[in-house]
Amino acid sequence: MKICQVEGTLVATARISGLQNRRLLVVKERGSSGKQVAVDPVGCKPGDWVIAVGSSAARDAAGSKDYPSDLTIVGIIDYWDEATGREQAS
Amino acid sequence: MQIQRVVRDLVTTKRNFWLSAKALRVVEDAAGNLEVALDPIGAKPGDFVVTIGISAARIAAGNPKITTDLTIGGIIDHWDEHRWRD
Repeated sequence: MKICQVEGTLVATARISGLQNRRLLVVKERGSSGKQVAVDPVGCKPGDWVIAVGSSAARDAAGSKDYPSDLTIVGIIDYWDEATGREQAS
Repeated sequence: MQIQRVVRDLVTTKRNFWLSAKALRVVEDAAGNLEVALDPIGAKPGDFVVTIGISAARIAAGNPKITTDLTIGGIIDHWDEHRWRD
């Protein structure tokens, strides 16, 4: 799983029917500069640190084996200290 | 998924049976690398699109037998070059 920070919502009105009306978010993976797009079944805010799964697990995580996602958010990290790269004690 | 921009159409007359009658587009990423993506929705050159990779690309194409590893999943409504390259 990847640790990513949410940057914002991505609006794509013209989309394939398989993507349904799921929310898409622009995320930045920790330690890399490139942006990626993830499906968000959890409900994240911009700035949240999240964990996201890739490969075929992303399809299952989005709700069904037939959902065409290659990156799906599976959880929001409660406390993340970017300076140390650790979860804060509290 | 990745954010990419459609560069142009791609014509390949001789192709794999499972790719027959599917539109192909040349797409570029923020670094300028070119790739080819299957396009089930009809994106125009210059459109910013969301592309789906790996095994999900085959599902996005509408039939898991279609031999693709990159499929356009949607056209982004509002996006700009600056946000993309940043």
